[in-house]
Amino acid sequence: MQVPERWYNIIPDLPLPLPPPIDPPDSDSSSIELLNRILPAEVVRQQFSIERWTNIPEEIRKAYENFGRPTPLLRAKRLEERLNTRSKIYFKYEGALPTGSHKLNAAIPQAFYAKREGIEEVVTETGAGQWGAAVSLAAGTVGIKSTVFMVRSSYEQKRQRRGLMEIYGAKVIPSPSSVTNFGRSISGESPGSLGIAMSEAIEYALQNGSKYLVGSVLDVVLMYQSVIGLESISQFREIDELPDTLIGCVGGGSNFAGFTYPFIGSKIAEKFVAVGPSEIPKFTSGTYKYDYPDTAGILPLIKMITLGAKFEPPPIYSGGLRYHGVAPTLSMLIKQGTVVTKEYGEEKSAEAARLFAETQGIVPALESSHAVAAVIDEVKEADKSGTSKVIAFNMSGHGLLELDNYIKLYGER
Amino acid sequence: MMPELVIYNTVGFPDPDTFTEFIRGAGRYADVIELGIPPKFAKYDGPTIRKSYAVVSGNDSDYFELIRNVSSCCKTVALSYLDDLDLEPFLNKIRDTGVKAVLFPDLLIDHMHELDYVTTSVRGKSLGNVIFVSPSVPDSIMRSASLVADEFVYLGVRPTTGVQTPINVTSVVKRARDIVKGKLIAGFGLKDNSEIAQAISGGADGVAIGTSIMKILEERGTEEALEATRRLKEYVGSL
Repeated sequence: MQVPERWYNIIPDLPLPLPPPIDPPDSDSSSIELLNRILPAEVVRQQFSIERWTNIPEEIRKAYENFGRPTPLLRAKRLEERLNTRSKIYFKYEGALPTGSHKLNAAIPQAFYAKREGIEEVVTETGAGQWGAAVSLAAGTVGIKSTVFMVRSSYEQKRQRRGLMEIYGAKVIPSPSSVTNFGRSISGESPGSLGIAMSEAIEYALQNGSKYLVGSVLDVVLMYQSVIGLESISQFREIDELPDTLIGCVGGGSNFAGFTYPFIGSKIAEKFVAVGPSEIPKFTSGTYKYDYPDTAGILPLIKMITLGAKFEPPPIYSGGLRYHGVAPTLSMLIKQGTVVTKEYGEEKSAEAARLFAETQGIVPALESSHAVAAVIDEVKEADKSGTSKVIAFNMSGHGLLELDNYIKLYGER
Repeated sequence: MMPELVIYNTVGFPDPDTFTEFIRGAGRYADVIELGIPPKFAKYDGPTIRKSYAVVSGNDSDYFELIRNVSSCCKTVALSYLDDLDLEPFLNKIRDTGVKAVLFPDLLIDHMHELDYVTTSVRGKSLGNVIFVSPSVPDSIMRSASLVADEFVYLGVRPTTGVQTPINVTSVVKRARDIVKGKLIAGFGLKDNSEIAQAISGGADGVAIGTSIMKILEERGTEEALEATRRLKEYVGSL
């Protein structure tokens, strides 16, 4: 099978109109206009020229192919045996990409468009380091510089991730930093947060004429990730099988959306389960309202399920899930009932990860282990009701660069 | 058929006299004039139109009286947000001004569940419905909503008025054209003649222009704004 030729955007197929991004009520300038200055123009164009299908440029398809797309769709046979179930479990393995997660799918097109527009440097933020690594590799691939603001606590603890970004040629700056006004306004003692790093990266882009690359939440990023689900549909068809239930973890929502939206759009599968961390309970405690996607309030307001832009996520190990909101389209699908939600604590997720590693050999990223925990419960539920289901989940990344976290989690018990 | 020109201005902007003079004059060129009544929060508008709402709100004028004075200029459409509106009294007052139709930019996005009620109430007052859609409106809703449009469907091609985000105007209009059966007018931040041409080539029956004319009206006065409107009509008519 081939790398898909088009990305899929779910907006034309949503059940209700998607509330658009808006400028804050009390602002004289337009933060929607600001997107023009910080993002590559083609990314803005694709964000706002909403079309169901967008052709993937040949160069981007080649890069996808070069880095291992299509990624495998695998059956977790030994996990099924261990759970002693009649249900089947499949997973799409995005950890097979060289940076270890799905993030590369969105970094490559954005870096490519920046380069095509004559931009010499791209900048972004990273928490756990997955997105930063993806941007570093993507920028290196198209031949431009990259600067990554890395949350200081991760910068100090995750030397392997930092090292990976540096191998790919990125300049990695711990955030809060002294490079930006926003960074300087925050105490040097602060461990930092994704929101602060994001605000620093945007300020840096504005000051230096570089472009900012977005890792999740924006509709266009979810569209780039649709390669995951589009490939999965073809792979399921090749084995003459179709899933009943799809499961994925949610930070901002891009891996979940990338995996499930093509299924939702094609009306394949009947149940879609979005899994979040119970330590950041946006599904159970969040409200659906206009809010800032960034802590500093620089970006336009978007309507989403949110715990509030000022919410300070507790320091869980699953850095990719430490985000206060949920992408607007996913928020709507949750509110409207197409997607159901579950929340699991990190400890239970880590146990699910151990079971997965024992049976399938793959150590899931801690983020993805939340999906594994939900898969196990879905299987048990099907068994209890005497049915057998075909359950598929997105293994958004592997956890080999985060083994320290697992060691700490298991050790704490 | 010759493409149509729709001109938008906020009621009473930049001041009541200039507004009245401009609208009466613009009626000679525009096929339709849209008149915006300030809401509490113009959610889906950009900075220029929001500023115009703030300006006229400070003028302490009677919006309905101002509309009544100009509504015979041509076909006029009143625009306001449903969010903070008492529908029945609003429709009664607006009907008495002589406008032909009403447009609520937040109808589909925030008040979808009231679509039938609102459009039926509007018709009940012998007014027509103009339905506002944006690229983020799904196909199925664009289709059903276009069926209740009496005058035309207004497609806002950009997420907000007067803010020039790069977009593929032709493809955005074409998608709506394939769905909307009746008259389709494209607007929201069309920045130059080339984008107007793209909208028409994408299948729009006309274009709506607001922010750019309002800026001329505020900065250079009625005469120049009318001349710009005349040239716009000439250009749109040539397409």
